[in-house]
Amino acid sequence: MKTHCIYVCRNLLAFLLSLFLLSAAVFYAARLAPGDPLVSYYGDHAEKMTPAERLQAEERLGLHEPIHIQYLCWLRSAARGDFGISYKYKISVLQVIGERLPNTLLLGGVSLLLIFTLALGLGILCTLQEGRWTDRLLCRAGTVLSCIPEFWLSLILILIFSVWLHWLPSSGAYSAGHGGDPLDRAAHLILPLSIVVSGHLWYDAYIIRSRLLTEIRAEYVLLAKAKGLSRKQILLRHCLRNIAPSCLNRMALSVPHILGGTYIVETVFSYPGIGTLTYESARCQDYNLLMVLSLFSGMLVILCSMLAQICSERLDPRLRPAPEPPADVPAPSEQAAGRLKRRMAVKSPKPLPHRR
Amino acid sequence: MDPRFTLTGIRPAPPPPTPSRQRAARRPVPAAAMLAAIVLGCLFFPPFLPKDPSYLDLYHANTAPNAEFLFGTDAMGRDLFSMVWYGGRISLLTGFLSTAISAAAGILLGTASGLAPRWLDGLLMRLTEIFLSIPGLLPAILLQAALGKASVLSLSTVLGLTGWAEIAKAVRTEVRQLRGSAFVTASRCMGGSPFHILRRHLLPNFLPAILFMLVMRFRSAVASESTMSFLGLGLPLELLSWGSLLSLSERSLLSGAWWAAVIPGVFLAATLLCVTELGSGLQTAGQYGPSGL
Repeated sequence: MKTHCIYVCRNLLAFLLSLFLLSAAVFYAARLAPGDPLVSYYGDHAEKMTPAERLQAEERLGLHEPIHIQYLCWLRSAARGDFGISYKYKISVLQVIGERLPNTLLLGGVSLLLIFTLALGLGILCTLQEGRWTDRLLCRAGTVLSCIPEFWLSLILILIFSVWLHWLPSSGAYSAGHGGDPLDRAAHLILPLSIVVSGHLWYDAYIIRSRLLTEIRAEYVLLAKAKGLSRKQILLRHCLRNIAPSCLNRMALSVPHILGGTYIVETVFSYPGIGTLTYESARCQDYNLLMVLSLFSGMLVILCSMLAQICSERLDPRLRPAPEPPADVPAPSEQAAGRLKRRMAVKSPKPLPHRR
Repeated sequence: MDPRFTLTGIRPAPPPPTPSRQRAARRPVPAAAMLAAIVLGCLFFPPFLPKDPSYLDLYHANTAPNAEFLFGTDAMGRDLFSMVWYGGRISLLTGFLSTAISAAAGILLGTASGLAPRWLDGLLMRLTEIFLSIPGLLPAILLQAALGKASVLSLSTVLGLTGWAEIAKAVRTEVRQLRGSAFVTASRCMGGSPFHILRRHLLPNFLPAILFMLVMRFRSAVASESTMSFLGLGLPLELLSWGSLLSLSERSLLSGAWWAAVIPGVFLAATLLCVTELGSGLQTAGQYGPSGL
């Protein structure tokens, strides 16, 4: 129980510390970068201001102070849950993000589900058909698909399905006046979804395939075969369970990549999500918005990697932190430790040959 | 005992693949030939091209491919055939430069981490892992947006500085294995500086291991450059690259000029595919024994 507590506390502390460092880094980098935040607040008017007006405007936005004072001010209000207003939209940052976040979550979430199920299916299929034409064809197609840049594939799909066939809309999240219609949403989602899925699918499928291919060469597979299990049974009941921890780990790590990687698709399809918002805020020096968005992605990254670790530890007992040794076992003496060290030293691996 | 049988005698061992066949199977000749054609074409064609790629021939804007304009013209009346070859130069140059920067940063950091004491090593590797988990192009886009207007050099630097993490990790693993070996100790005893050891003893040993990564780095650098230029965050329109060529194509698609979007993209995708094929030819893994299923 005690180890458990320490474990949770340590992770929590690491989480808060990394968020703090990230916020400081982004804050300094954004303010030191060239560019005028007043332009995003006042529009073109900012360029015609007299120096006195400028000074006044900067004072109103709190931009006249030294950076570290500004940072402390930001920290103080952020701790109270007030992240300031967006310079461009003139409303609360959280409100701006709240309007767009569901769109990205919908796109990212559905693609996550599709990617994982399809990758698992493809990986298993390729392993079962190893070396036959299905496997070779899938591998070939996957390599080709993963080589095509996302943005170009989007263009081609728009060309085929929107321009030539007129089947699907080419931009936006819904048609004007049809915001609540699920069918309309789905039609707008198909093209962006297929781009996100095709961009990530093969990588995951390939990893599952190569893990499974290594796994089916283990001795226990031979034993299971000798016992009379069918190929599918061996693969699904034994091999899949063995590779599950590493696969789950991999999937948890790819969550931020998929959720954060939708901005290319969002831009091409003019899909109102937070990917485009992030880019916009960096470009227009919209400091408050940029801070919250980077903290959000940072949080996602850290949470997912923690989740990955916890998942694999739960599934694979070998990875759990070692329990504390019971108190009655004496700690190894200095002498014994020295002996052990010497023994380990003798066992050091053979030096590798020197190649030129 | 028949040497074809393993000790357990359950399965006959497969005959060892003959070296020549093995090598032929791994050598991607068509991909190499195609890549060579594209690269050499980009390097040597431009002086002999009949059209100036930056000339705006507004009479012939959005012309479909014909005998005069082999690949057609774009919305501004520029000849796509010349633009593709000129654009390839910049795209490939950016790829090379940023790969070189990534490689230098990755090798230096990886070696430093591999030779460093345990606490520093742990710190550096933590940093690398955080860097690896940041999604794709995001840091490059933010950095470039903050730097303002892009040039070939600034874009390559941005892409190079955001792509070192994988290389550093691989180099560090290799250096950790090598640092205890006798020849490194001997060189150190004779007073070899860290840079001397890196160049003469470590680099030749870990280079084969990271060569595949370097090739893949090149691929993703070219892809990132075109993606960023396409989004309008990378090279400006007048600096021709495959990405900036394509940045106008979204509009030309809607006006029916499919060639402006398809042709440069085919060049880009073909290059990326060939590079990938070459890279997987370098990879030593992927050779499996007989299946147990």
